[in-house]
Amino acid sequence: MTSGVLVRGFFAGEHDCVHAIRALRAARYADVRAFTPFPSGEVLDALGLRTSPVRVWVLLGGIAGAASGFALTIGLSGGWYPHVTGGMPIVSIPPFVIIAFELMILFGSLAGAVGFVVHGRFPQLEAFPGYDPRFTDDRFGVVVACPPGRDADAERLLRDAGACEVDRAVA
Amino acid sequence: MSATRPELDGAIDRTPDAIPAPGAPIGNADVNRVVLRALAPPGLRFYAFLAFLAAGTAAGGFAWYHQIYSGLGVTGLRQPTMWAVYITDFVFWVGIGHAGTLISAILYLFRSRWRTPVYRAAETMTIFAIATAGLFPLIHLGRVWFFYWLLPYPNERWLQPNFRSPLVWDAFAVSTYFTVSIVFYLIGLMPDAAAAREGTTGWRRRLYAFLSFGWQGSDAQWRHMQTVYLLLAGFVTPLVLSVHSVVSWDFAMAQLPGWHSTIFAPYFVAGAIFSGCGMVMTLLIPTRRLLGLEDTLTAWHFDNLAKLTLGLSLVVSYSYAAESFMAWYSADPYEQTTFAMRYWGPYGWIFWLTIACNSVIPLVLFSPRIRRNLRALFVVSIFINIGMWAERYMLIAGSLATSFETAQWAFHRPTWVEVTITAGSFCWLVMWFTLFTKLVPIVSMTEVKEGLSWLRQARHERATRAAA
Repeated sequence: MTSGVLVRGFFAGEHDCVHAIRALRAARYADVRAFTPFPSGEVLDALGLRTSPVRVWVLLGGIAGAASGFALTIGLSGGWYPHVTGGMPIVSIPPFVIIAFELMILFGSLAGAVGFVVHGRFPQLEAFPGYDPRFTDDRFGVVVACPPGRDADAERLLRDAGACEVDRAVA
Repeated sequence: MSATRPELDGAIDRTPDAIPAPGAPIGNADVNRVVLRALAPPGLRFYAFLAFLAAGTAAGGFAWYHQIYSGLGVTGLRQPTMWAVYITDFVFWVGIGHAGTLISAILYLFRSRWRTPVYRAAETMTIFAIATAGLFPLIHLGRVWFFYWLLPYPNERWLQPNFRSPLVWDAFAVSTYFTVSIVFYLIGLMPDAAAAREGTTGWRRRLYAFLSFGWQGSDAQWRHMQTVYLLLAGFVTPLVLSVHSVVSWDFAMAQLPGWHSTIFAPYFVAGAIFSGCGMVMTLLIPTRRLLGLEDTLTAWHFDNLAKLTLGLSLVVSYSYAAESFMAWYSADPYEQTTFAMRYWGPYGWIFWLTIACNSVIPLVLFSPRIRRNLRALFVVSIFINIGMWAERYMLIAGSLATSFETAQWAFHRPTWVEVTITAGSFCWLVMWFTLFTKLVPIVSMTEVKEGLSWLRQARHERATRAAA
């Protein structure tokens, strides 16, 4: 968040929170953030946040996993241990697909978890500006960084949207 | 709160207003309070129960020690039934885990609302069930210190990694399943751990701070969380189907009568989820009462779980019928003989016990009254657990005992070592589950709150429509 005054609104419901975000964005506040006790697609939509780059991690991890599964099975069976069992071809693609499939899921999942940690900046050792423990309980929070002189306007917008409490902090 | 506890007395109305889910009297803050209250220090009865389970686990550990010291001769494993109780345990416990994944991942993709307070407990069960299953190939090895010979790596002993073997597929499938389940579990736990962090002090606060990874519920965190959770659910769904298919191919890829069947993969997957649903009920019904979670885990949730169980019972029953029909229709005398021995041979009572527990008794779940009576459900779930274990044993040991050559026929008799290790595995799983009910929020607060929001939204839309 940019420097300036942080105005923070607490909301009892998701819809009031969404209204506040929309009002603030319509009033051209650039730095609006939200805290929610559960995932809210409406809040993310209102903030214009929908897609996450984590999915690219998952895709690349899955491709790497499938490729490594085929490399492992074909490499070991065909290169290092060309051993015929049960009259089957040394490089038997159908059974190797099973190994590749499992590794695709394993690598894709682990890559997704790593992407989540990287983009979510975990572990988050310090509280975000404007965080309040009530946001993990039952309150929705909207935090807006206000340029000088606009904090009263932001406060009014939050109250008009139905904030049950509004306070300020220096960012 | 108990005064306003939602109960299912009347017929179920599908409209959101009538859903007696934990909605009407509970607000978001109540959810945290109710779930975190369950983490309060337990009483003496809890420790006594835990001590009983620890003693059972220790007995299983002692039996394993005795087996390692004396050799596999102390078990009933003899030619030709070299797979019996331990492999049955392995298949059973892997299967138990599947319901957790179904409830947490597959029903998540289907946006099923009733799963929300159930899935964390089911996921916890999944992780311990897979961990328990993973012990049994090691126990079955006899010389457990050579466990690494199972791993497909280049070595100087000319033990080539054979990627065409279902046993190697199994190692990949089960280890992947275990790893991905833990990742899925930990990511889903983060928001709840954060809520628990804010509501506790001392070592618990430090534990939840660690498990939450600094989660604060910011928009950016939820954005990445939702994406990774959805994609992991999408990955776990085919994974869970593949895992028990691969386990079934341990048998179906062999030429043995009673095993060599194309129906085995769906048959095993349905049976696995069926048994897992039974175990979820067995664990959750007492847990709900002991932890005072009646407000979040209502009879409505168990009613839905019972319907799922009933549907799976019908699939499993169909599989029994199809398998028997194909044995008859194949006109293969070996296959027919194996099935005749399955029905009327020395293991016949196990077959009929299986049918009674898995196909007949679950039919009572057609009755809404039974589905909403948690005591009756608990009893049914115990029968399902027994029936599914018996089914695995019947398929594994029963088929091996009556192979092609009648002169080789021999029937497995479990010894005290096998029985004690099996009983110990049940104690082991329940012990860890019980311990975890006091360590992690066993009901997902986040998802219950999300469900409440959905309920309120549905009610609001309904009222708006009515007004219009």
